[in-house]
Amino acid sequence: MHNFENCTKCTVCTVYCPVSAVNPSYPGPKQAGPDGERLRLKKPRYFNEALKYCLNCKRCELACPSNVPIADIIQSARIRYTRSAPSLRDRMLAETDVVGRLATAVAPVVNTALRSPAIKAVLGATAGIAPQRTMPAYARERFTTWFRRNAEESQKQYPRQVTFFHGCYVNYNNPDLGRDLVAVFNAFGIGIRLMADEKCCGIAKIANRLTARASRDALINLESIRCAVAETGNPVVATGSTCTYTMRDEYPHLLGLDNADVRDNITLAVKFLYSLIESGEVTPVWRDDVSMRLAYHVPCHMQKLGWTYYTTSLMRMIPGVELTVLDADCCGMAGTYGFKKENYRYSSEIGRPLFDKLADLSPDMVVSDCETCKWQIEMSTPFKVENPVTILARTLDLEKTAARNRKNH
Amino acid sequence: MKFDTVIIGGGLSGLTAGISLAEAGRKVAIVSTGQSAMHFSSGSLELLSCPGNPIEAMAKLPSDHPYSRLGADRAARFAAEVPGIFARAGIKTAGTHEANHYRLTPVGMFKPAWLTLEDYITVENPADIPWRSACVINLHGFLDFYPDFIAAGLNRAGVSTRTVAISAPAIERRRESTTEMRATNIARVLHGDTAKELARAIRNAASPDDEMILLPAVAGFRDFEASRMLKAEVGRPMAYVATMGTSVPGVRAQLMLERRFTALGGTYLPGDTVVRGHFDGTRLKAVETANFRSDLLHARDFILTSGSFFSRGLVATPERVEEPVFGLDVSTPVRSPELFNKDLFSPQPFMKSGILTQGSDFKAMRDGLPIENLHVCGSALAGADALKEGSGAGIATLTALAVSEKLKNNN
Amino acid sequence: MSTLKTEYDVIIVGGGATGAGTARDCALRGLRVLLIERFDLTAGATGRNHGLLHSGARYAVTDRESATECIRENMTLRRIARHCVEDTGGLFITLPEDDLNYQNTFIDACLAAGISAKEISPDEARRIEPAVNPSLIGAVKVPDGAIDPFRLTTANIIDATRHGAEILTYHEVTGFIRSGSAIKGVEIRNSRSGAMSKAFGNLVINAAGIWGHLLAKKAGVEVNMFPAKGSLLIFGHRVNNTVINRCRKPANADILVPGDTICLIGTTSDRVPFSEIDNMEVTPEEVAVLIGEGQKLAPSLATTRILRAYSGVRPLVADDNDPSGRSISRGIVCLDHSTRDGLDGLITITGGKLMTYRLMAEMASDMACRKLGIEGKSCVTAEQPLPGSNGKPDEPTATGRFHRKHIIDLPTEQLAAESRHGDMARSIEWTGSDSGALVCECEQVSVGEVDFAINKLHVHNLINLRRRTRLGMGTCQGHLCACRAAGLLEKADKCTSDALDDLSSFINERWKGMYPVAWGDTMSEIQMMAWMYEGVAGLTPDLTSEQQ
Repeated sequence: MHNFENCTKCTVCTVYCPVSAVNPSYPGPKQAGPDGERLRLKKPRYFNEALKYCLNCKRCELACPSNVPIADIIQSARIRYTRSAPSLRDRMLAETDVVGRLATAVAPVVNTALRSPAIKAVLGATAGIAPQRTMPAYARERFTTWFRRNAEESQKQYPRQVTFFHGCYVNYNNPDLGRDLVAVFNAFGIGIRLMADEKCCGIAKIANRLTARASRDALINLESIRCAVAETGNPVVATGSTCTYTMRDEYPHLLGLDNADVRDNITLAVKFLYSLIESGEVTPVWRDDVSMRLAYHVPCHMQKLGWTYYTTSLMRMIPGVELTVLDADCCGMAGTYGFKKENYRYSSEIGRPLFDKLADLSPDMVVSDCETCKWQIEMSTPFKVENPVTILARTLDLEKTAARNRKNH
Repeated sequence: MKFDTVIIGGGLSGLTAGISLAEAGRKVAIVSTGQSAMHFSSGSLELLSCPGNPIEAMAKLPSDHPYSRLGADRAARFAAEVPGIFARAGIKTAGTHEANHYRLTPVGMFKPAWLTLEDYITVENPADIPWRSACVINLHGFLDFYPDFIAAGLNRAGVSTRTVAISAPAIERRRESTTEMRATNIARVLHGDTAKELARAIRNAASPDDEMILLPAVAGFRDFEASRMLKAEVGRPMAYVATMGTSVPGVRAQLMLERRFTALGGTYLPGDTVVRGHFDGTRLKAVETANFRSDLLHARDFILTSGSFFSRGLVATPERVEEPVFGLDVSTPVRSPELFNKDLFSPQPFMKSGILTQGSDFKAMRDGLPIENLHVCGSALAGADALKEGSGAGIATLTALAVSEKLKNNN
Repeated sequence: MSTLKTEYDVIIVGGGATGAGTARDCALRGLRVLLIERFDLTAGATGRNHGLLHSGARYAVTDRESATECIRENMTLRRIARHCVEDTGGLFITLPEDDLNYQNTFIDACLAAGISAKEISPDEARRIEPAVNPSLIGAVKVPDGAIDPFRLTTANIIDATRHGAEILTYHEVTGFIRSGSAIKGVEIRNSRSGAMSKAFGNLVINAAGIWGHLLAKKAGVEVNMFPAKGSLLIFGHRVNNTVINRCRKPANADILVPGDTICLIGTTSDRVPFSEIDNMEVTPEEVAVLIGEGQKLAPSLATTRILRAYSGVRPLVADDNDPSGRSISRGIVCLDHSTRDGLDGLITITGGKLMTYRLMAEMASDMACRKLGIEGKSCVTAEQPLPGSNGKPDEPTATGRFHRKHIIDLPTEQLAAESRHGDMARSIEWTGSDSGALVCECEQVSVGEVDFAINKLHVHNLINLRRRTRLGMGTCQGHLCACRAAGLLEKADKCTSDALDDLSSFINERWKGMYPVAWGDTMSEIQMMAWMYEGVAGLTPDLTSEQQ
């Protein structure tokens, strides 16, 4: 299935693996990936449970001169060969949408509890959640609830409609980001709709080997995306690089689902906006009182998507923004990985160079397209992290932009 | 997306061209499918492997050789520019194009070199090495370095050499893995206190009689800091020798050149592959990549530095040799048994395979016609056996500078 | 000229499976044995075949005697050489262009030879072996398997030495010492140093395969053999887990065998002159035939990386009454030159196949005992397991690295070592500070296993090491591990210039199998290999080498 034979054993992948730098129990991408695959084909007994230490950051694939899908090979092997069933802890972490739905209903209680040292100790001892971690806080009102109550009706005034895949994070943890996205798109004269039926993108389930559940959700998402594209003639946009990457590439590569007909129409909001601005279809009007030193942290899956250019170009358009693009280092969180007790130490060590650099730089704010990078950086440094869409919402003069783009239409 | 120049290939040649153009204020993007062959660098760049002056030796090369196409004067001029480009990226080198020096290989051979990274061991003349004794130090369990071979080579050259193995706790931890005790992985933990611990171990292992301490090149992953610090901590004449496997100085040079390029405003697109070109007659208008399917990369000029077979700049099928992206003309379109010699160490005609070009700015040819704004640089060019000649880095950098000069003069 | 131990009962010439098996058999019977091999153990046809544990089905229709021998030895080897054998099972498939009627003839012949052959449906065949050509119209299941000839030969040698045999590799018999009409010993040249010596024995056994033709000539007798070249291709990984054969009269490239981490297709068959037998090259035409026919067995071979091409020489033995060679002896040929040619003290054992090496050894040893007048020593090699194959199957034998027990039941390198050395893997050091590190990453060969091979398995150079451990046989064909292994050999040996010459020869030997299939990924690999060794390391060719 996977072409592990392109591997020329050059070992360049091992140079860039963030895990092998800190964890000697991990066999490294070459051994875990193409080398191991060859042995596993000889006998499944050659499967090594230590493959679970792989972050699935895809940096090995980026580095590979021979186009070997190294991380896909490793993740597929974990799914195929791991003998034990996923633990309760892993299931809990994977069910981001179920847990999110329940938690947002009683957000104040849950948030207090999640911050409580006693609860953390219990989660650590019984569930294997790293006690140093605080699970991300839940919002009192889901994004979708807010959208239906406050925004849906007004969206109909816009002739052009774009569908927003909000994902679990925007819906349950950070509805503000969703509101920012609606505001920015509206300012450019574009209405936002939601998908007919949206499920979690599935990355947490894939990472925790609940692939059957992930596939079921993925099929529903793909169907909704197909409808959305057919109805609006526009792509579906998301704010998170991992959700976007998952639906574009993990669906076919790890779940074996064919998304070729819609893959190009699953995109990031920054890419969509950049293209509109660059082509002159819309014109931004920026606020004149912005003065910010931003540091851009490139999320691994953003790097893999190859779309860093869109975010950095947008940020550089903003007058008064001084942007530093950090060396592309993994932050170490990788979704649910960094929350697991056994990974905490490695997760922190992997992020260390990034944290040190931020301390040197001391920016006003960190920009990143990924929510789990945000959690890691905010938990490990004093810096606040925002999605580029939020930065746009804060630096665009939304009213003047709206006026300008109304005139254009 | 619009650029002045789009470079396909992010290795030594692509980065040299990219930096040179970006230094002149051009808007440049580099598309790189994975990492480059720089990752196996010996720590030295070779211009032409010969005793003495490599520029003079170029006169003996055949007329279709990339150096002959440049001419000795231009070759010398561009060669003189390279150390500056490296230096501005923070990479200090020893050596000049006027006289080769010698590098020491991981198995104890001396080979002619043009430029060598500052922290590496070099000698002017292997028959007359100024230090008379040396200690080759390896790290316990590091299998890609061969102190005994090196010692034998130095002993042959009249340097009385001994070997010793040492370690430091953080490096020992690497050995819990059966495979990951690699030079680059050691370099990733060799900083701060670990470097100090190792320096202590080196001081203890070396004797006052050792006039030179030689260490495998395992220090300085992102920059020279760790390497310089280790040398300073040891406080005695010490230099690095290349290892086999992935090369720490190669990775470092790659990262530092990349950083220089992006600091100049260049756009580096890693892990992306150009899948096709959009042509207007004999002009390339734009390229489509795996990650940029609809937003094409438009540019006035394009440079192809996609390398030879290893980097898939050329691909061979049982019947043919092809340039896979644009279908450019190659020097050996038929993959015949004549391309191979059954003795590996004899000249291998396939090593000279490459893309056919026209003019002093190396315009790519397709169906016998030049493509006006697509230039080929580095090991993708036909006509050189870089391995046998010891000319790989020279061709990569000199042709890159020749093409960027032409592009800079074009407007 | 030096002289070895004055007197041996038998001097065996040839370090292939037959020679090694004969050395073991004779040693087990208490004979004083010397085995002399010109190059390395398994350097000839033994190391250059399919590694197929024939069920005998291939010969059932055309050669009943060979088929019967094969199935009997097949069952014996599963018992005595468990660590060399993998029970993969085999399929004989009928494709649309083949005659399906042949299948019944085939099954009948198998059953008559005692081979369990069972017709299964094409669906069942596709289920058993997903890689099989899906358009097959018939399939028969037979007890084929895979056998590793390197391990098999080494295990025989180890057991022979345990029972007192002496082994001289890299020594060539250059002539015979005669007394009247009797051979009394051999003159020997050290293949590396050129030093000459002599060994005396009551009986010389010519087990030199095709080279036995030339050896017999040196003794003044004629054993009329014809070299038949067979070429094979090795693919990068196991495409199939069951042996796939074509159900038709044996022809070119109709067997695909899974062997350890790889699979291989073969063979072609062409007579070649004796002048070529030491320098065989696989031709582009042979490669084309192998790929073309191979794809008919398993279509995915079309897109599978080819690691290398190689060929071996089978000795075809002319019937004694037909020296023209048109009539070839089938099966085993065991000649007593005293009755046949009036030359005392020489036996030739030839013909046969890897599968029947033990039987050949038994026949030669029986004849030797008869001629030496030794009575009451019967053959035990069919019952007594080889070193490595003792103990219960699947019982974990290695000590294990317990500090990692929470991660994996047995580290992959230990699993790999056990699959190669069976219970002998117990002697491999795992807990020493350096011993767990992998030298060969593709085939999982650790420093400890290399040390074990150097100390216990007659390893003098990298090629020996490759044959004993699979080091350098994987995807990268040694570009990552050859230098590491050279470093370890040098440490064991303290002779740097030899170690570097050895490294050059090894890389060149790997190259020879790669360039005939140099395209696609193999092309990238060879360019990288050349860069690393000639470029970075600055290695120069070894002009002295003639080792194999």
